[in-house]
Amino acid sequence: MYEFLTGPAAIAASGIFFIGLIVRVIFYIRGLHWQMDRVTYTVNVSYGIKGALRSVIAWIFPFGSVGWRAKPGITFMFFIFHFGLLFTPLFLQAHNFLLKERWGFSLWTISDPAADLLTILTLVAAFFLVLRRIALAEVRILTSVYDYVLLAVTVAPFLTGLLAFHQVWNYHFWLMAHIICGEIMLICIPFTKLSHIVLFFCSRVQLGMDFGIKRGGMKGKGFAW
Amino acid sequence: MFEKILFATTATPACDHAAHVAFDLAKKYNSSLHLFHVFGLPSHGFGQQVTDVRTGKADDYGTRYVEAIKKELQEMYADEIGDNSDYQIESVIGVPHREVLRMARKENADLIVMGAHSRQEEPGATRYRSVVGSTMQRVAKGARCPVLIVSRPCTTCLWYFSNIIFGTDFSKASYSAFLFAYQLAKEIGSKLWLFHALDISAMHAGKTLEQDEIEAQIAKAKQKIKDTYVSQMTDYDNYEIDVLEGIPYVEILKYARAKNGDLIVMSHHTREVDPEQALLGSTVEQVVLRASCPVASVNRPDKVADLKLTPQADATESEGG
Amino acid sequence: MAEGKLCNRKTVDTKEYLNALLADKSGKQYYKEMEELDVDTDKLRTTLKASLKSRLRTWLEICAHCGMCADSCFLYLANNRDPEQVPSFKIQSTLGEIVKRKGNVDNKFMRMVMDTAWSKCTCCSRCGSFCPFGIDMGIMFGYLRGLCFSQGFVPWELKIGTGMHRIFRAQMDITSEDWVDTCEWMAEEYEDDWPGLAIPVDKVNADIMYTLNAREPKHYPEDIAEAAILFHLAGENWTVPSEGWEQTNLAMFAGDWAACKMQVESVYDAMNRLKPKRMVGTECGHAHRSTVIEGPYWAGLETGKTPVKSIHYVEWVAEALRTGKLKIDPAKKIKEPVTYQDSCNYIRNGGLKDISREIMSYIAEDFREMSPNREHNFCCGGGGGFNGIGRYRQQRNAGLQIKRQQILDTGAKLVISPCHNCWDAIRDMEEVFKDGIRWSFLKPLLINMVEVPEHLKPED
Repeated sequence: MYEFLTGPAAIAASGIFFIGLIVRVIFYIRGLHWQMDRVTYTVNVSYGIKGALRSVIAWIFPFGSVGWRAKPGITFMFFIFHFGLLFTPLFLQAHNFLLKERWGFSLWTISDPAADLLTILTLVAAFFLVLRRIALAEVRILTSVYDYVLLAVTVAPFLTGLLAFHQVWNYHFWLMAHIICGEIMLICIPFTKLSHIVLFFCSRVQLGMDFGIKRGGMKGKGFAW
Repeated sequence: MFEKILFATTATPACDHAAHVAFDLAKKYNSSLHLFHVFGLPSHGFGQQVTDVRTGKADDYGTRYVEAIKKELQEMYADEIGDNSDYQIESVIGVPHREVLRMARKENADLIVMGAHSRQEEPGATRYRSVVGSTMQRVAKGARCPVLIVSRPCTTCLWYFSNIIFGTDFSKASYSAFLFAYQLAKEIGSKLWLFHALDISAMHAGKTLEQDEIEAQIAKAKQKIKDTYVSQMTDYDNYEIDVLEGIPYVEILKYARAKNGDLIVMSHHTREVDPEQALLGSTVEQVVLRASCPVASVNRPDKVADLKLTPQADATESEGG
Repeated sequence: MAEGKLCNRKTVDTKEYLNALLADKSGKQYYKEMEELDVDTDKLRTTLKASLKSRLRTWLEICAHCGMCADSCFLYLANNRDPEQVPSFKIQSTLGEIVKRKGNVDNKFMRMVMDTAWSKCTCCSRCGSFCPFGIDMGIMFGYLRGLCFSQGFVPWELKIGTGMHRIFRAQMDITSEDWVDTCEWMAEEYEDDWPGLAIPVDKVNADIMYTLNAREPKHYPEDIAEAAILFHLAGENWTVPSEGWEQTNLAMFAGDWAACKMQVESVYDAMNRLKPKRMVGTECGHAHRSTVIEGPYWAGLETGKTPVKSIHYVEWVAEALRTGKLKIDPAKKIKEPVTYQDSCNYIRNGGLKDISREIMSYIAEDFREMSPNREHNFCCGGGGGFNGIGRYRQQRNAGLQIKRQQILDTGAKLVISPCHNCWDAIRDMEEVFKDGIRWSFLKPLLINMVEVPEHLKPED
C-alpha cells in the first residue's frame, strides 16, 4: 500500500498536477484574443512586461499593493496560509528524504519544529478563513459548499500530516491518510479553482498588460493594478 | 419696423406685462410673433428627463408633454392673442438663454421681448434671479437684436412713448443702443434724452475727485455725446444731453424717473463668463430690476444699423476715463 | 419567438424606429414589452461560445469568493453594505449563472441581469484594483451588457442612445449641418469679446483636431466657444471636423459593439481625412475611454492606437500651462478650497492622475484631495450610463452619497470635474442633497484666470 501510494500513485498524481497545470496555462494563453480582450499583447510589449511584473510583484508580497494594505487582517492570515501551504511540503525533511530516496535529489530543508509551527499556523489561518466566511455577510453570500470542500481538500494533508508526525493514535493510518489526501489535492488542483496556483499569475500578468499597454501604463507613472 | 418679434416667456405671471407689450407691438407693426417658452432644463446626463423650469419637478420629455405645454400657453395668452393670426407657439427643452438665442438667430428676430420680476422681495424672486435673471442677462448679452425687458405694467403703448432715455458708456455696443433709441424716438416722435453717468467709483478708486475736475470730466463727456451721437442725427432736434456723476445704475434710474422716462435704452456688455459674478456687476440687471419703465438692451448693430447714417470712425473709441 | 415592437433584439437603424422609441414617454410600453421578450437561448449560447474567451472564463472560475472586492464598490458602501452589492456576487449571480446554465435562461432572469448590469455597476473597475487575482468586474459587466443588448434587454434610454449613434453618429440628434452652424453661431456670438476668434471647420493639416460631446452643441454650446477661446489664446492651429466630431459613445454603455465601431470609425475617418498632428478631446471621461482607449480595438487597429495621437483635454491644458502657451494671472488663481473629481475613465483607466494634479498646481491655491483619490477614487456615482437611465434614478441617487461624503470631507465647496458624467452626477447631487456645492469644467475657470495678450483684447 505504502509502496503503491508513494510510487505509481504519487507519480500519477504529480503527473496530473504538472501536466494539468501546464495545459491550463497553454489553454489560457491560447484563449487570449487581442481584439476581444482589447489588449495588444504583441504591440508595445515592453509596457506590457512592465505592467505585468508590477502587477505580479505588488500582489505576491504581503502589503505590496493598495488592495492588501486596505485589509491588513485578512492579508496577514492569507499570507500565513499560503506561505505554510507552499513552504511546508516543499521543504519538509521527510518529503525531501523521500525525494532523495526515490528520485535521487532533494531540496533545502527546514527543521521539524519549524515545519510543525508552519503547519499549525497554516491550520490556524485556515480556521480563521473559515470563520471569516461564516461571520462576514459579504463573504458568506459568496460562499458555497464547494468553497468549503476545496478548503478541506487543501487543509487535509496538513492536518493528517501533523497527526501522523506526532503519532497521535495510529501513525500508519494517518500516514496513509496523509498521502492519499496529498495526492487528492494534487489531482484536484488543475481541475478546480485551486488552479489559481498558476492562473493567479496568468490573470495578474494579463491585467498588468491590459493596464500597462492600454489603460494608462503608457502615461504617467501608473499604479500596481 | 419689427418684422419678427420673439416673445420669450417663462409662462408665469411675471411675464404678463411683457406679453401685453409684445402682442401690442406685433399688432401695431404687423409683426409675426413667436411665442417661445423653454419649459425644461436638460438634466441627468443623456437621459430623457427634464426639470420643469416653473415647478422644479422632474419629468420625462416626450412629444405629448410638449403639446400639453403648448396648449397651456395658448390658453394662458388667449386674451392677448385675440384675433391675431400671425403667431406661432413653440416650446422646447434646453438651457433657457441658449434656446432663446438659438431661436432668435434661427428666426432672424428683430426684437426679443422678455419679462422680469420688478422687485426682488417678490415671492420666487430668488429663483427668478438664479434662473430667469441670468437668462435675461445672457440673452441681453448674446442677442444680435434689441432685447426689450418689461417688468412692470406699461401704461402707455410704445408708440405713444414721449420720453426715451438713452444711457451710454461710450462703448461700441452703446453706439448700437443709440441707433435703436434714435430710430425709435424718430419713428414715434418722442423726446430722446442722451445721458451718461460718470462712474466716479470705478474711475478713480481710492481717490477723491475735486469738484472742478468732475466738472471738467462732465463737460468732456457732454462734448463726446455731441460728437458721437448728436452729429449722427439728421432732421431731429427733440433731444437733450445730460451727464451726472455717481454710480451708473443709480444715476440712470434717478434720471429716468426725473424725466418721466417711458423707455430706457442701453447696452449691456460684460466679459464676465461666470454668471454669478456677472449678475452682481451688471448695470443692466440693476436697472431692469428697479426701473419703473421697460428697458431695452442693445449691443449689436445687426438689427439697428439700417438707419441712413454713416457710422463715425471714433464711435467705437472708448472713453477710457 | 416573441419580440416587441419597441423592445426587441433589433438595432435602431431608422429614424422611424428611433422616433417611435422617443414617443414612448418614459419607456412605459418598451418596458412592458420587455416582460414578454423571449430569450434567444441558441443565440446566447453561440455568442458565449464565440466571445467568452479564457480571460473572462478564468476570472469567473478562479474567483476565490474572498469578498475583498466588497469594500471597493461604492454601491456596496452606499447601500448599507448590502451583501447583494458585493461585486463578485453581482457578476457571479448574473454572468456566472448564464455561463453555468450555458445560456439557458428565461425572461425574468434576463431582466434581473439587466437591472444588475446597469443599476449595480458603473463599470468603474475599482473592484479590479482590489482583487488579489486581478479580476476586473468592470470589464466583465461591460461584456455582460453586450450580451444583454444582443438579447434586447437594455434600458430604454440606452436603446435610444445607440440609435442616435447609429443614425446621427452622435449621441443626440445633431446633423452635420446643425453642428457646423453651431460653430458659426458661437464664433459670431463671442467674436466681439475675443477679436479674431474663429472655429475653423475641416481645416486640413492642423495641429489639433478637436472632438467633443454632442451635448455641447445641443445644450451648452458655450463650451465650444470656451474651447475655441482657449485655443485662440494659446495660439493653436486647430480645427473641428464637420463629420466625426462626436467623441462620446453611449453604445459603449449599452454594449452595442457594432455601433461602437461605427461611432469611433467616424472620428478616425475625420483624422484620416484632415490629417491633424493630434486630436484633443473635450472634458469627458467616457468619450476619451471609448474613442482613444477602447476604440482602436473595435475598429480593428492592430496597434491599439488611434490613427493620430489623441489626448484628453486635461493633457492639453497641462501642456499649455507648462509651456506657457496659456499663462495664469497669479492674482486670479482659485483662492477658495477646491477639490478635483478623478474620473474613472481617464484617471484609473487612462493613467492621467498626475496630469490633473499638475493643472491644479498651476491654478489653485488651496487644492484639497478627496480620500481616496487618483486611481483609487470612487466613481462619481453616475458613470457607465447610470446618470441617464430614469428606471434607476433612485439607485443612482442612493449611490451619490459616497461621492457626496468625499466632497464634504474635503471642506471644499468647488469641485473641478473635467468629465461630463461626473459633472452631471455632482450637479444632480446638489439637486438632491442641496449642500451648496458648485461644480465646474476647467474651461470656464481657465478663461477667468488666463492672461489675455494685448493684441487679443477687444478694442473697448
